[in-house]
Amino acid sequence: MKKFVWNRMRGVILLIAVAVVSGAMAGCGASGGKPWLQMQYPELNEIRMPSYERVELDNGMIVYLVEDHEFPLIELSATIDVGSIYEDADKVGLGEMTGTVMRSGGTSTHGGDELDELVEARGMQLETWVGQTDGGAYLSAMKEDTQMGLDLLADILRNPVFPEDKIKLAKEQAKAEIARRNDDAMSIARREGMKAIFGADHPMARHTEYSTLARIARQDLVDFHADWFHPDRMYLVVIGDFDSERMVGMIDKAFAGWAPATRALPADPEIPDFPRTVNVVDKDDLTQTTVLMGHKGIRADDPNYAAIRVANRILGGGFATRLFNEVRSRQGLAYSVGSSAGTGYRYPGMFMAFTMTKSESSEKAVAAILAEIERMTVEPVTEAELATAQDGILNSDVFSYDSTREIMDRLVMFERYGYAPDFLDRYQAEVKAMTVDQVLAAAQAVWHPEQLTILGVGNYEDWDGDFSRFGPVTMVDIEIPEPALDIPEATEESLIAGKKLMQGAYEAVGGARMAALQGHFTRRVMSAEIQGMAMQFTIEETVQYPNRQYSLQKTQWGNGSQVLDGDKGWSKSGMGEKDLTAEEVTAAQNGLKTSYIGTFRNLDEFTFQALEPRIVEGVECYPVYASGVGDDYMILFLRADNLRLRMTQAPGMSPMTGAPVTMKVINDEYQDVDGMVISSKSRMLYDDELFAEIETTDFEANPAVDETMFTK
Amino acid sequence: MTGISKLIRVGVLLSLLVAASSVAAQTYLDLENQVQEFTLDNGVKFIVLEKHDVPVFSFRTMVNIGSANEVRGITGLSHILEHMAFKGTPEIGTKDYEAEKKAMAAEDVAFLALKAERIKGEHADPEKLAALQTAFDEAKDAAREFVVTNEFGRIIEENGGKGLNASTSSDVTRYHYKFPSNRLELWAYLEGSRMSHPVFREFYTEKDGPVTEERRGGVDNNPIGRLLEIFQNQMFMASGYHHSTIGYLSDIENVSRQNCQDYFDKNYVGSNMVVSIVGDVEFAEVQRLARKYFSGIKRGHPEPVETFEPKQLVEKRLVMRDPAQPVFIAGYHIEDQSHPDWPVYEVIADVLGQGRTSRLYKSLVKEQKVAVQAATFPGYPGSKYPTGMLIFAMPAKDKTGYDLEEATYAEIDRIVADGITADELQAVKQRARANFIRGLRTNGGMAEQLATYQTYSGDWSEMFRVVESIEAVTLDDVQRVAGEIFVPSNRTVAIIETDEDAS
Repeated sequence: MKKFVWNRMRGVILLIAVAVVSGAMAGCGASGGKPWLQMQYPELNEIRMPSYERVELDNGMIVYLVEDHEFPLIELSATIDVGSIYEDADKVGLGEMTGTVMRSGGTSTHGGDELDELVEARGMQLETWVGQTDGGAYLSAMKEDTQMGLDLLADILRNPVFPEDKIKLAKEQAKAEIARRNDDAMSIARREGMKAIFGADHPMARHTEYSTLARIARQDLVDFHADWFHPDRMYLVVIGDFDSERMVGMIDKAFAGWAPATRALPADPEIPDFPRTVNVVDKDDLTQTTVLMGHKGIRADDPNYAAIRVANRILGGGFATRLFNEVRSRQGLAYSVGSSAGTGYRYPGMFMAFTMTKSESSEKAVAAILAEIERMTVEPVTEAELATAQDGILNSDVFSYDSTREIMDRLVMFERYGYAPDFLDRYQAEVKAMTVDQVLAAAQAVWHPEQLTILGVGNYEDWDGDFSRFGPVTMVDIEIPEPALDIPEATEESLIAGKKLMQGAYEAVGGARMAALQGHFTRRVMSAEIQGMAMQFTIEETVQYPNRQYSLQKTQWGNGSQVLDGDKGWSKSGMGEKDLTAEEVTAAQNGLKTSYIGTFRNLDEFTFQALEPRIVEGVECYPVYASGVGDDYMILFLRADNLRLRMTQAPGMSPMTGAPVTMKVINDEYQDVDGMVISSKSRMLYDDELFAEIETTDFEANPAVDETMFTK
Repeated sequence: MTGISKLIRVGVLLSLLVAASSVAAQTYLDLENQVQEFTLDNGVKFIVLEKHDVPVFSFRTMVNIGSANEVRGITGLSHILEHMAFKGTPEIGTKDYEAEKKAMAAEDVAFLALKAERIKGEHADPEKLAALQTAFDEAKDAAREFVVTNEFGRIIEENGGKGLNASTSSDVTRYHYKFPSNRLELWAYLEGSRMSHPVFREFYTEKDGPVTEERRGGVDNNPIGRLLEIFQNQMFMASGYHHSTIGYLSDIENVSRQNCQDYFDKNYVGSNMVVSIVGDVEFAEVQRLARKYFSGIKRGHPEPVETFEPKQLVEKRLVMRDPAQPVFIAGYHIEDQSHPDWPVYEVIADVLGQGRTSRLYKSLVKEQKVAVQAATFPGYPGSKYPTGMLIFAMPAKDKTGYDLEEATYAEIDRIVADGITADELQAVKQRARANFIRGLRTNGGMAEQLATYQTYSGDWSEMFRVVESIEAVTLDDVQRVAGEIFVPSNRTVAIIETDEDAS
């Protein structure tokens, strides 16, 4: 084991220039009524950097240790170079789920539930997680449980088993989160704001959907863990009541033999720099508007770093800032208002401003915030403001040393991202020497109010003024895409259950009468809105079983028809007449068998698989996956209360673009004709967008057939 | 920035209190012996714990006043007052206090005239109303001319203050930040002045602006916040816990600066005030500065709350149809935190709904998968007076509050019928010990606990007795108390039923 004790800082006393006398108001006239200006402050006591050791294990893990014997506790926190930025775009949520199930699913020696019992019986805290740009693990335990806790921590990091039941549980949790994500305006603003600023598909903005969850399988978690969790990507900070020498030995043992990574980390995703867009989420149950604005910022190694932090301290990063004074205290427009400088250690940060204000002052608040930002970029701040900001930063710097945990986390961060350990000292020196011109120059270089992308969430029709004065407004649709149906492998039980359900439906809707039909005539009226234009057309269909069908479509621009006659067919329209191809004939024949009545006439030709019950627009349904006729499938959603068909879902083609879509027909009303239950009103949806409303106006069983229909 | 999301965070707060309330007393006698205290002649209690490792200190000023002290007409006033305590003093925040005082008096007159007309509602004379509104706006602008905006906060920030904030609950109002330790005198001056003679400048802008927006954000535009407010209204009909801390909108609109001043004079008095300081300070110096800067606070005679909740005789239920996803809440009346059964409530809450091994989590989340979250909090919305044991659960996707309700009662019934196991009780005690020690680690956490125990039980050292009180709970206690509280007639239930079209 290579042990390198790095205690350059041990015992070194850091004297920080905190004894800055508040000078903000100095020279502002008589201070007789302002006793705080006369106060003299003693020198601040010494700040002592905690003694720590840095050890690199043979497997590449970096360990920082700080002994603290005040309380009989130990705390281990690991930072790992892993993150959701590394997951596949079509499996968003994989990283987070891996982090969750590592802990909840347990290991080969301790199952997840057993782990819960062990941990909670000892009052320990043990967690793992994967965030956007890093992951980690955390253990807090009483001193006497040190060995047990360390062993458990190492075990879940190294040997998670990812059992199916805990993956399912994690998916249920993730689904519930998706379902609830539009209940809170602030979380909508954050989510949609990130998408507006970075682009919806960007790894820093994209988010889980039902469809991305559905694509995640157990093997993906196993692979994600194997790919990213390695000792040489881990920084372990250990604080508490232990002996460092012994602790290093224990850690070395717990993680011995864990293989380092075999390939380098991928490059970080680029952060885009887009021009302004103005976006509105219209939610009519809100009386308050949440606004977020932002654009790309800078990294902490940028020369403007110190100055832009000072600038933000004046603009909106605190209690007595311009935004707080103007928007909250003076105009009384908001409870919360503020800004962040837009700096990041790893990525360029995000310059951001936010507020929550009543609907009727939405535009006013945005304009007020933009004006304050603008002002920062055109005129210098006052000397008094600068002094306040400098004092604030320098005087509060002592708090950078008041938590051992924070100090160590900062050291780890500097090491991960390549910053010098004395980064903070240099920053303070720069702040101390800052001038108003530097602040102005930084604001001009980093902040571009005209480029700030704006996103507002609220009841748009109640907003004051015209939001488009900030730019063309894009309305953002936040409707949650319905989950794709989970079609598990068919089992004997699910096939029997599917068949039984369809048999039940057959009884419920008069299937025997449908089977006895020789033919029927149906007239349907479809109302659709296509590219903003309301359209209505009528479809008249005459069927003679088993394989003849005449269908006439009447529109305001003329008629068209299609005929199927056994194994041939043709179509007619204003553009002339043409024969159906062999594929088109097969499709038409299958269409007859998979129609509503056709399905009940041909139950034996299908394979029916029962799926998990689900709610379709408020109605509990039993979905049945039907396949075997043609290449396509359909899913029939039978109402739980009466087994009538609530919805049919099938793959289809957009009539406008020809692109593949998911087609749904939802039946809202039914009628009884000669003991047969058929729909009377329904809606047709393409990819969950309403395409047409359909009313069945006529239905006649066994009609007289005019043979000329089947004559060319 | 000031204030707290009263309705929701109270739960979190209480769970922190629960977590904090546990000690291996013998081990920490040492720490207990280091705590020092003194009381000023006016009754303000100071508790000091010196810790010299880093040159900073944290403090809490805890005022024994919360929304439970309010009566109809002034609901939300404790919280408004908390906001006003950041507006300065005759010395801080003004360009010319004598002139400002006159301008504020004119503003008050204009407000009362406007209010008198506005309160007529439909019978108000629109022209008169408009004129009065204009007069009021002008008076407000005139008074604003004298304001140095947020000077109080600015002084704290430029001197390095961090975590400047305050919060109001049903029970208490607390103020806090942390400061470099060489600024102790500045702190004493700032805190002593605002607690003795604050000036409620910008009163009307503050309550009609930020305070109202805070209500909108936390309650009116937040489905769970909305439900919790109505739930609390239903569960407590008579006691001060009836109304939410944020208060009713009409009270926020109509309350006057004089109301606020009267409320302050009556309640912000020495015997209602505890100040705890933890960090790099010298006890003698704290004593000297406390006498110098806090002696202006009046001694006062706060009136005790007189109305208590009658025994609930029938189950209460409410359903909120809302586009939001469903939730299930149930509350059972329990006694206040000085009652001998309080530790038993904490044990029950822990076993029933805290952590991954709790009964509700195991049954509703892990096994039946009907919920994604299920938690229990003893002491909602407060714990100074007889209060509630709250159960809060969020259904899994496509499940309803009703699905959870049944499953929750099944778990409760099991505890009533069979009690809990010896292993479960042992685990609660172990967690109590570990959590207590974790709570001692930061200056802010210590200051919070010292002030809390002093305020609630009149003796800060109670915080070191709490693990003992949990240790003393027996299996029989749990079953007896569960049987007493978990009866349907003692229950209030609130459910969100998802309805896309509801508004």
